[in-house]
Amino acid sequence: MSGIPFGTPEWAAALRDEVNRSSEYRNAASRWGVGFNGNILLAFEVDPALPDPLYLFVALSAGRCDRAEFTRGPSHPEAGFTLRAPFSLWREILERRTMAAAAILTGKMRVEGDKMTLLKQAGANRALIHCTGSVPTIFPAPPSAR
Amino acid sequence: MSGLRDKLKRTIEGAVRDAGEVPEELTTNFGHIFRSTPRILVEPRSADDVAAAIRFAREEGLTVATRGAGHSQSHLGLSDGGILLAMGSLDRILGIDRDRLTADVEGGVLWGDLLARLKPLGLAPPVLTNNLNVTVGGTLSVAGIGVASFRYGTQGDQVGELDVVTGSGETVTCSWERNTDLFESVIAGLGQTGVITRARLKLRRVKPMTRTYYLLYDDGRRFLDDARTAMDSGRWDHLESWASPSPQGTKPVGGRRQIFARWFFPFHTTVEFDEGALPDDKALLSGLRPYETLYVDDLPTYEFFGRLEPVFDLWKRGGTWEHVHAWTECVMPWETAPDLLEAILPDLPPSILVGGHVLLWPAKGATSRSRYFMRPPGENLVGFGILPAIPPRYWEEAKPMLDMASRLAIAMGGKRYLSGYVEFTAEEWREHFGPMWEPLVAAKRRYDPDAILNPGFVPLDARRAAAEPSR
Repeated sequence: MSGIPFGTPEWAAALRDEVNRSSEYRNAASRWGVGFNGNILLAFEVDPALPDPLYLFVALSAGRCDRAEFTRGPSHPEAGFTLRAPFSLWREILERRTMAAAAILTGKMRVEGDKMTLLKQAGANRALIHCTGSVPTIFPAPPSAR
Repeated sequence: MSGLRDKLKRTIEGAVRDAGEVPEELTTNFGHIFRSTPRILVEPRSADDVAAAIRFAREEGLTVATRGAGHSQSHLGLSDGGILLAMGSLDRILGIDRDRLTADVEGGVLWGDLLARLKPLGLAPPVLTNNLNVTVGGTLSVAGIGVASFRYGTQGDQVGELDVVTGSGETVTCSWERNTDLFESVIAGLGQTGVITRARLKLRRVKPMTRTYYLLYDDGRRFLDDARTAMDSGRWDHLESWASPSPQGTKPVGGRRQIFARWFFPFHTTVEFDEGALPDDKALLSGLRPYETLYVDDLPTYEFFGRLEPVFDLWKRGGTWEHVHAWTECVMPWETAPDLLEAILPDLPPSILVGGHVLLWPAKGATSRSRYFMRPPGENLVGFGILPAIPPRYWEEAKPMLDMASRLAIAMGGKRYLSGYVEFTAEEWREHFGPMWEPLVAAKRRYDPDAILNPGFVPLDARRAAAEPSR
């Protein structure tokens, strides 16, 4: 299987490049992070498919990603928004089996930050999720395969 | 099976049919999403027939669904193994009082038929729905909204009195002053407490001609500003508007290329006038800032009321009338309506609207006093609706997008309009009615103690509610 292991610096760098290559993101997110802090921390919480949590910080502004990195904490001082969900739900979203906005609206994904801003720019966030799902990824093996 | 039918037939003047005799079109509604077959179809001839059918259902442990023109899209107007009351047979216009400006009609009368009778008298109901081929009882049960609602509220607000057969089989006359609790639970009450067999409708005198200004906006926020100006000016009799797509090409949405559109906002402002007293165009339009004024149309008023009939005919001839109609309509707070437009429209494929459209109506919250027509607080409101006609094979593909639009509207403070496609969880139903949920449950318990009326949509199980400990 070809791909980049999820949770590594290489994966984060690949995501940054994917975002900056994406005309969908550039157009849909042209107003994201303009006049407000658009940096997002994605919190991949522990569940049977992920023994230790992962936190991905992405610095986003005006249709560009300036930085993407996995970080330590459950929070990040530069983040304007934090999206928290169990890893299995994230994986469903990245594999386009669940819509991120639906997960937010049904409360399955928890939002820290102005939820309305996030929902108003649904296209920007859909494009970001698409970029994230477009990185060729080797996900952590499920427990039965370990 | 025929034993039940024959037994019921002995007490009913109208037609009574078995499941096997039910016409195909009565097993679904305008939504074409749900299908179900009643055990018995009743076409009542009178309120007594309705009462007899309900009493029979109670005795036999059957449910009763009511159906007008079947224009609902969720599980309304359908019966799954119970009695279906096809109310279209109660279609008599009982009387028109030209002095008091009222009309008494049976619940199955079509608004269009009433209008035809009122035309020679120069009268009309204050609020008319766009589609006139729907019944009085049907639209009153969901509220009934039209292009004059910004002035007169809902059709339910323009009712003086009702005869209702409750879920107990009792016939009750009720109004804003008499048996008020029942009356208010029937208006926009989704047929949960009673069946409307007669309505006394308020009327107004109309002027013979209308002039409509076809204004076009290229900016949603400017359009909304002007819509408020138009509402507040008191100059207009009817206000109608849409969001209209101009396809531009394809773009990726979630990685899949789809057609995208530049959206425009047609705003049709209409004033009625007497022959020989032509409207003052300049005075009427002052303060409005459209991108372009496309057309000014003078039309006899009764033709104006039927202005969308040619559009509906086109949809019928094109075959889209038989497609899935999952109309996702809501009433939005004025403040968040622009945000909703900007969140939804950019990625809404215009192709979904073949045989449909996106409604966008300005409204005034205080014009309605209906208890169960749920709307956001605030003086100014916006009706927003995605009204698609979806080929059945694409329904599953389109459904998540419409569900998302519904959830987004609610998250932004909107309330769904319930004649359309609604698939709420029990919790979402409670949230929809908010503080009116418990009163609605109580009304259901009071007037339909066996919970036989119109099951399958709003989960008001009076029997279960009655079993709960009182708080």
